[in-house]
Amino acid sequence: MKPIVRYLAAIWHILRKDIQVEWRGRQGIPVMLVFALTIVFLFNFALQLSPDLQAGLAAGLLWVSLAFASTLGLNRGINLERENNAMDGLLLAPMDRSAIFFGKALGNFCFTGLVGLVLLPVFSLFYPQNMLRLPLVLVMLLGLGAYTSLGTLLSALSIQARTRDILLPVLLYPLALPILIAAVEASRGVLAGQTLSNVSSWIYLLLAGILLFNAAGLIFFETILEE
Amino acid sequence: MSTQTSTLISRIEIRDLVKRFHHQPVLNHLSLTINDGDFCVLVGDNGAGKTTLLRILAGLVRPNHGVVTICGSDPISEHPLRRSIGYVGHHPMFYQDLTALENLMHYARLYQVGNIPRTIAEAIQAVGLTTYDQQPVRTLSRGMQQRLSLARALIHQPSILLFDEPYTGLDQAAAVFLDDTLRGLHTPGRTILLAAHRPQRLLSIASHVAWLKDGVIHRHLPVDRLGEAPELGRYLQEVA
Repeated sequence: MKPIVRYLAAIWHILRKDIQVEWRGRQGIPVMLVFALTIVFLFNFALQLSPDLQAGLAAGLLWVSLAFASTLGLNRGINLERENNAMDGLLLAPMDRSAIFFGKALGNFCFTGLVGLVLLPVFSLFYPQNMLRLPLVLVMLLGLGAYTSLGTLLSALSIQARTRDILLPVLLYPLALPILIAAVEASRGVLAGQTLSNVSSWIYLLLAGILLFNAAGLIFFETILEE
Repeated sequence: MSTQTSTLISRIEIRDLVKRFHHQPVLNHLSLTINDGDFCVLVGDNGAGKTTLLRILAGLVRPNHGVVTICGSDPISEHPLRRSIGYVGHHPMFYQDLTALENLMHYARLYQVGNIPRTIAEAIQAVGLTTYDQQPVRTLSRGMQQRLSLARALIHQPSILLFDEPYTGLDQAAAVFLDDTLRGLHTPGRTILLAAHRPQRLLSIASHVAWLKDGVIHRHLPVDRLGEAPELGRYLQEVA
């Protein structure tokens, strides 16, 4: 087997294991969903805004729900590897350790993406806009791609910390701010009827985030996990 | 790749190894050579650095200074070499919600083991867990999880085996099972390093004893020459 095929196979095996664990335990996606839906309901009833204002706020609220829910998923994803030192099992395997980063990041992306896809129709019920639009789905997936890549990298950083549960959000939210701003702006533009090319500068920022954080994972992941 | 590493001599060489945690040296210019086919028991007090040494050899911890070679290569930078290492640590390294079978499948895929269903069936049978293979790992006892760890560490047929206190938490029956397994594993071409706080039961199985004290290997000699090191003999009696 060629090295690149072996590398991709290792990523797939890690992703597959995360999906299998989630399917058996059902402890990640349901928690993220309940949390995100609670935020949607709470904001809807607490703000009592006019339809015009609600439309303007929808993009921001969508990303607040997604960002908070994703953080729960990221914590769950790394806790899974901490229990029983399962991360050691991955580190012992004969593969480049950056494959662990990509496998975990892909798993986090799939789970949060799924939560986002459930969230969009729910938003359409509460806010006077059809959120199930292909451009918005695309923006959401790009934003989550960048956010979960950064989150996976930082969650690995927190694996050995005593204050790991609070360390991740403390590090993640400030560093993800440019990504979240770009995602909100691109989503708002799309919801206001603009085409993707009209919001291309924000899309490019999201793409740059995906590239940057994945490159950082490729280079630094092994160093981050070192004792 | 497995054929490439398996043709190399299963020798562990450590030269001038230093590992510090928070500026505190745990291993302090430690040197040790374990030859092909040796079964070496690593003894030492709690906190002597046995776990750290084993984790460095497994490629899980990077030393601050010194050279570690296994089969002639560095286990951290040469990741294909890790295929020839089997490691049983303090924790079983399993996913609690997955079954014993699923956990082993996951590791077999990562190690690119050939004919996975057959290999796993044989591994599970070898550790006597065939009737429990469909149970989630969280429902297995400590002894069973330890047996499963053994299956995980052996599934890719490594030539170097590293055990860190494998008897901890085992009842008498499980400990006897482990004795028999270790005896069976001690074959030519396979090198074993086993850290034990109370090594008495291993002296009839192992070929060598290494005493880790003050961050260095204080004594390293064959079991049948223990009489030459009365200080080590007294230590072994004290910890028995």
